[in-house]
Amino acid sequence: MASHDESSVSRKKSSDSVDEISTFNAENMQNNAKIISYSRTFMSIIGGVIAGILGFTGLTGFIFYFLVMAIMSVGLAAKAGFSAHPYFDSWNQILLDGFLGGLLSFVLFWTFAYDMVHIF
Amino acid sequence: MAEDLVLDTAIRDWVLIPLSVVMVLIGILRYFVSKLMRSSNQVPDPKMVKEGQVIIRARNLRAAANYIPAKSFRARRVYFSNEENGLLYVPKGQAQNAQAQMFSDPNMAMDMMKKNLSMIIPQTLTFAWVNFFFSGFVAAKIPFPLTQRFRSMLQNGIDLSTVDVSYVSSRSWYFLNLFGLRGLFSLILGEENATDDTQRMMQMSGFGFDPTKSLGAEKDSLDIFQHEWALPKFEQRAEAVLKKLVS
Repeated sequence: MASHDESSVSRKKSSDSVDEISTFNAENMQNNAKIISYSRTFMSIIGGVIAGILGFTGLTGFIFYFLVMAIMSVGLAAKAGFSAHPYFDSWNQILLDGFLGGLLSFVLFWTFAYDMVHIF
Repeated sequence: MAEDLVLDTAIRDWVLIPLSVVMVLIGILRYFVSKLMRSSNQVPDPKMVKEGQVIIRARNLRAAANYIPAKSFRARRVYFSNEENGLLYVPKGQAQNAQAQMFSDPNMAMDMMKKNLSMIIPQTLTFAWVNFFFSGFVAAKIPFPLTQRFRSMLQNGIDLSTVDVSYVSSRSWYFLNLFGLRGLFSLILGEENATDDTQRMMQMSGFGFDPTKSLGAEKDSLDIFQHEWALPKFEQRAEAVLKKLVS
């Protein structure tokens, strides 16, 4: 109920302010984006180590990466209170930013941990 | 068949771990060296600084234009962009050649070279080191299958076509480290390191950077800017926010 009310209010507000100029602080926005990329990098490294230790191979590992990133997205969205607009330009920034950038780190640490634990 | 390739644990102890550790340490070293080499005693040209500040002020005006009444905005715009003595107005012929300016300031080129060297030298050295000590054997195995196409990328330095592609030679492990550690560096060294490269690129492209041109561009964008005062709508906005708080 409450969430319904809230969403309707916010929708009304956004429809009110469609023609209105967006008001935001560029520095804060940048800071938010930076925090997101930080946490994504961190999660991709940790995820890589976990995947390597658990011995995932092939597709399983990549699915694990996507899973970790999805969890990360949900976590970030929860942190932002499930409304992107007070903090970010769009939802894409929460859900997709740094998605591919972390992949290389993930692969590296995955390989490293996997080799350490399972190959030698 | 390829699965029964057994790797010696000595490879792990003497190749894989040292290589990765060295890569990390060299990255950190490079960061601090480039920080030290950044020349701090250069005296910037007052004219350049002045122009830069004017541009920043004009940009601020443009960004915050909607918070001031139309009249105030117009007055400020005239201050910046009128054709007689506006701050952004550049008289014809006064625009100096960017190329000449570049040559008159060898400090800039020197700085650039230092930065590039601090990037290139460690990489070359590490590559030579890896090549010299660790060439010619399989060092690691990536945990996912790849097609034959990746053979030249991952088994750089091994000339065997029967080895499974997922085995990685040490030279390729070096490359993998080179790219994959970027994320780690941005975590442990702060954002500066990560942005350094892109900033360097920016500087490269803006090497023949012409301040008068950017003055003109700023003037144009200020001229075509559509002013719309935001404050009248803010009552509604405040009402919505307060209502949300109360309910």
